[in-house]
Amino acid sequence: MARINDVGGTEGFGAVDITDDAEPFHADWEARVVGLLGALRAQGIFNTNEFRDAIESMPPREYLAASYYERWFEAICTLLERKGVIKPGELDG
Amino acid sequence: MADGDRFPPGTAVRTFHHDPPHHTRLPRYARGKRGVVVEPEGRAELADVSAQGRGDAPVEQVYAVRFAARDLWGEGDHHVVLDLWESYLEADEEGAAR
Amino acid sequence: MSGDHSDATIAQRVRRLETLLEEKGVLSGARLDEIIDASLTGASPANGARVVARAWTDADFRARLLADGTAAVRELGFMEGSYQRLRVVENTDTTHNVIVCTLCSCYPLRLLGPSPSWYKSEAYRSRVVREPRAVLAEFGLELPAGTEITVWDSSAETRYMVLPRRPDGTDDLGEEQLAALVTRNALIGTAAV
Repeated sequence: MARINDVGGTEGFGAVDITDDAEPFHADWEARVVGLLGALRAQGIFNTNEFRDAIESMPPREYLAASYYERWFEAICTLLERKGVIKPGELDG
Repeated sequence: MADGDRFPPGTAVRTFHHDPPHHTRLPRYARGKRGVVVEPEGRAELADVSAQGRGDAPVEQVYAVRFAARDLWGEGDHHVVLDLWESYLEADEEGAAR
Repeated sequence: MSGDHSDATIAQRVRRLETLLEEKGVLSGARLDEIIDASLTGASPANGARVVARAWTDADFRARLLADGTAAVRELGFMEGSYQRLRVVENTDTTHNVIVCTLCSCYPLRLLGPSPSWYKSEAYRSRVVREPRAVLAEFGLELPAGTEITVWDSSAETRYMVLPRRPDGTDDLGEEQLAALVTRNALIGTAAV
């Protein structure tokens, strides 16, 4: 089953934007997401492979439209719901 | 069994035509392709199983495997090396003779 | 849908999740700050540059670095306690190496610092394995026609770093001065040095 993240050799993505970002994060929330991932993994709530799997399982359109850390955040939310740590809709309710 | 015994450096291998519905670390571009083992790259839990949140992921040997661009895409003079779990690979008898 | 979220909205959702997890006793805010600090502190391309400068000036270290990157960088205090393996691949006058993670964005963070956006982009990840010469040219790196290029796709636990070639005319430079010459892009393989 083709997954949207598996892009090696796929054509059509165009030129590489070689801009060198000086900052690791473009907004504070991105750093918080990195912190969330680290904390949840350290607690054994999910592992790195489950995390990658959750990102890869995003619907292609969402995956491509989302920024890098947005993907991380969506994957974290998906896993937390799956593991019963938060209830479906509890975050946005 | 010592590290990397099954496919020593220089062994011709072939990746399976692997197309699982789940997470895997064998990219599409390298499935069913011939390569040569560079060297063993340690042992690790098979990502495919670990990604399912199961506690029973087998620990397997990982190998750095070198592929010619021509074998991957029919063109190009460069090489690509991928780190692949042992269960993604089989010995390539025909390849050994190339 | 994530595509519709402006920065303000995603920031609010992140904050809301943090609060929710704190209320549930799953997280403490202080712990998050520690983790964020730990992930950034000490992770810098200056580290990789130091490793390179040492390899350029100490042939025995260079040999150890290429034979077992993980052990060698630990001699300099890097990657201690990491479960990951490090492999260092050397550029020569006839070979050039470049690193990618086509499946996500795996990267030797401790040695290179946070990865640039281009490294994580679909354009880089899709194209560098297929047409490395053209991609490197987009970075301003033109390699001689006969150069053998190897692209290392980080698909498992090993992280890769390039050992660039020492530039000509640097015989009289000390390690610190040499380290200052090494760019992060060179450690990934999209620059010569």
